[in-house]
Amino acid sequence: MVLIETFFSLVLLISALLLVPLFPGLILKVKAFFTGKKGPPLLIKYYTLIKLVQKGSVYSTSSTFVFSLGPLISCTAALMALLFFPFAWLRPLFSFQGDIIVLLYFFGLGRFFTIVAALDTASPFEGMGAAREAFFAFLAEATLFAVLILFFRINGALSLGGYFAGQGLLSFDGSRGALLVLVVVGLFMVMLAENARVPVDDPATHLELTMIHEAMILDHSGPDLALIEFGAFCKLFFYAAFVASLLKPAHMILNPLLAILLFYGLVVLVYAAIGVVESVTARLKMPLVPKYLLSSFALVFFAIILTSLEFIP
Amino acid sequence: MNVLLFGLFVILLGGVLPQAFVRRPGAALRLHTLLLAAGSLCGLVGLFQAWQSGVTQALSIPWLGFSLLLSLDSLAGFFLLPVFLIAPLTALYGYQYLDTTQHSLRPVAGCFFFNLLICAMALVPLAADMIAFVVAWELMSFASFILVLYDWEEPQSRRAAHIYLLFSQSGAFAVFAAFGLLFAATGSFVFSATAFAALPQGVKLAAFVLALLGFGSKAGLMPLHIWLPHAHPAAPSHVSALMSGVMIKLGVYGILRMYFLLGDHSPIFAWIILVLGIVSGILGVAYALAKHDIKRFLAYHSIENIGIILIGCGLGMLGLATDEPIMAVLGFTGGLLHVLNHAIYKSLLFFCAGAVHRATATRTIDILGGLMRRMPITGRSFLTGSAAISGLPPLNGFVSEFLIYYAAFLGLRQDGFNLMLVVAAIIALAMIGGLATACFTKATGIVFLGEPRSAQASKATEAPPAMRATMLILSVLCLCIGFFPGPFIQAAFAALRDLGPMASSLSLLPGDLLTKISRNLTLIAWLFAALFLGLSALRRRAYRNKSVERGPTWGCGFTQGNSRIQYTGSSYAMSTVNFFRPLVLSRSQCTGLAQKLLPASAEYSSKAEDLAEVGLQHLLSRPVLWLAQKLRWIQHGRIQSYIAYIVLTIIVVLLLA
Repeated sequence: MVLIETFFSLVLLISALLLVPLFPGLILKVKAFFTGKKGPPLLIKYYTLIKLVQKGSVYSTSSTFVFSLGPLISCTAALMALLFFPFAWLRPLFSFQGDIIVLLYFFGLGRFFTIVAALDTASPFEGMGAAREAFFAFLAEATLFAVLILFFRINGALSLGGYFAGQGLLSFDGSRGALLVLVVVGLFMVMLAENARVPVDDPATHLELTMIHEAMILDHSGPDLALIEFGAFCKLFFYAAFVASLLKPAHMILNPLLAILLFYGLVVLVYAAIGVVESVTARLKMPLVPKYLLSSFALVFFAIILTSLEFIP
Repeated sequence: MNVLLFGLFVILLGGVLPQAFVRRPGAALRLHTLLLAAGSLCGLVGLFQAWQSGVTQALSIPWLGFSLLLSLDSLAGFFLLPVFLIAPLTALYGYQYLDTTQHSLRPVAGCFFFNLLICAMALVPLAADMIAFVVAWELMSFASFILVLYDWEEPQSRRAAHIYLLFSQSGAFAVFAAFGLLFAATGSFVFSATAFAALPQGVKLAAFVLALLGFGSKAGLMPLHIWLPHAHPAAPSHVSALMSGVMIKLGVYGILRMYFLLGDHSPIFAWIILVLGIVSGILGVAYALAKHDIKRFLAYHSIENIGIILIGCGLGMLGLATDEPIMAVLGFTGGLLHVLNHAIYKSLLFFCAGAVHRATATRTIDILGGLMRRMPITGRSFLTGSAAISGLPPLNGFVSEFLIYYAAFLGLRQDGFNLMLVVAAIIALAMIGGLATACFTKATGIVFLGEPRSAQASKATEAPPAMRATMLILSVLCLCIGFFPGPFIQAAFAALRDLGPMASSLSLLPGDLLTKISRNLTLIAWLFAALFLGLSALRRRAYRNKSVERGPTWGCGFTQGNSRIQYTGSSYAMSTVNFFRPLVLSRSQCTGLAQKLLPASAEYSSKAEDLAEVGLQHLLSRPVLWLAQKLRWIQHGRIQSYIAYIVLTIIVVLLLA
């Protein structure tokens, strides 16, 4: 039985990994819809990855081994996160109390090496991107840990499996579900910041001075860039799936197939929401980004304070 | 215990014997290193024996009519571990780091004080009565003071040593006051938990706060940390490594020992420690980010890590106060393991900083760069140490931080003020982690990567073999604890064994909790390694038969770039540092820009002042100096009046008595 469940989790994981590059294409489609264009094909990111893997690379004469360590470690870190994710509210491949802390720190490890790889190129643009990434990251981390605090206060779990798979789950109609509204908004804001989306960063612009993530990877090319892109897709998927998992009503019992359908439906909804946000808002000025991140923190912190009030359902 | 004391004797011998070879400093340093290594080995064997026998060993030495009590219990044993582990490595590093060509006397005399410091550091945890403790504590302060004064011709060193002396002696004063209070209440010099348990709570709290002032200033707790960023850059790097990696932890030992001896588990102790830990942690890392001198930068990181250790211990205390045994055990275990971890990576980072200083004759981060190519081993070691100190998995720093997080999350079941503090502790830990990443990407990226920003940096060469070996050993230790956390978690856990108040908590602990945690941490480390190796293999396959070229960095169309256009450490850190205004007083000055039509030469400088240092100057130094100025007339230089002062004082004292 355990073996079958493990096999099932593995199948879910692999299918998720195969689907991951599809969703950013969806965002592009939504944005194209808003601007009244046809937009690139839905599978554009698959084509990009294949193209990149087939290419060679040009390395800067300034860079060392650290430069190629950056893509490898950031991609590995993102993959680690998916190993622990309970897709469609089913049992994840690995799970233990505290795994979410480990995963957030693995994202931190990925960030550490992306930043040093950027500094390795001796390029002022990449230094600028790296400085911004390091600055905004610690504010985003405060929000993320505030979310973990809130979840622990609600159901005593400290793992992805504990949040979304098994008994006593987090949900709108579960205990203290109202607070999750604040969390969903806060998490959505952090997701945009952590994954280099509008309004914090703009993945479409090629004006290097205005960017964060894209500026840090200016010098990467070929398979290295493919690793970075794939890692970024996985990370975005992790956050989107996290938000999507919060949206299911707790008392809805589904058979696995329907659950998978509902899960990917919600994930598509989250990606579409990203596309809508990117279509209707402009990028924030850099000095406003800390305020944006601190607002997301304030939302979640407010929810934490509410947990100590007895009358909140 | 006998083996351990014999080890200490050998170490002391290793300080004395080399004095006979003043004319041949090379031989003297070799002898010093060898004896120190042998002594430390004896010490480690002694520790292992004591750990295996599982009983607290005690010894009494009569001295000047007092009897000095020494005892080796589990907590003392754990704090001795970094002493005996790091000491021989620092000596081996110093063997090639010290310049023996110019001054032959100085390194050899340094040997004596170096080993005296190590012996004193070993005696501090062993001391089991106030007299023995005070002797060891003062010996430690004195020996380290002399070592800070190593380059005494330089005014900066003298100033640093002066500040250090002031702080260590006023700290010692507070510790003596605490001991005096306890002696007055119990009438005995012996550290005895049973005698202290009967004291009224007010006395306990007063003694604890006084001791905290003294031990906290040694540990580098904000706002008593001011000496640290002065003393560490002034001392030779291997001494900085020893002081920052090992000595300041004895301040933490003092706080913990005092807490357990007093045996009072009111939440107020936990609150004090938690608040101080959070403040030290966040401000330590924020100040570090603003620093331009690499050793000063590392010194502020010691303050940050002391903050993390105290957050762990404070959570443990809160667990004891609120009857949450698992939280108590995990908090203390995490804090103690962080002591060991910090000893390892902080000495490693100081070793690397010393190697950089030796190779480039500068410690200014902003004029270095590109050293990874020129100093491959130092660079790789620094990268490892940086990732470890940022608390990133799969390295050692993460293991202890994970335990502290775990304890903190268990603390979320509290209510009211306790809950707020625990929430603050978790958010603080998360922010410290993020900021430490910002700091150490700055240090690694600006110092070791990119292009050299000055001629010194481009001419740097790799450190000699003994220095490289010490850095490699410590890097491997960082990885080792990350990949095999089990035994180290157990060791930190075993340190709690002999502490009376913990006994009931330990019995309530689910037996396999720690094994489970270590198994999970091992799993993620190896999972990460496996995925990483798999991806590297895929990457190598993708690059097979491909054209891989080398070219200049993409400058977005600008082709005339030189190394000066790179981001510097100051520019990298600027926005984050400004975020912490007004807690970090950063100031920048710019002259010569936009005054004429055509650009002339311009200057820019920035510095961040320490709020505690500025505050101390305004609130304490200036009033004291002002008062001293007003009282100058007492000091007139006439000897007969001085004698009159003495006679008067004696009369007053006699009358009062």
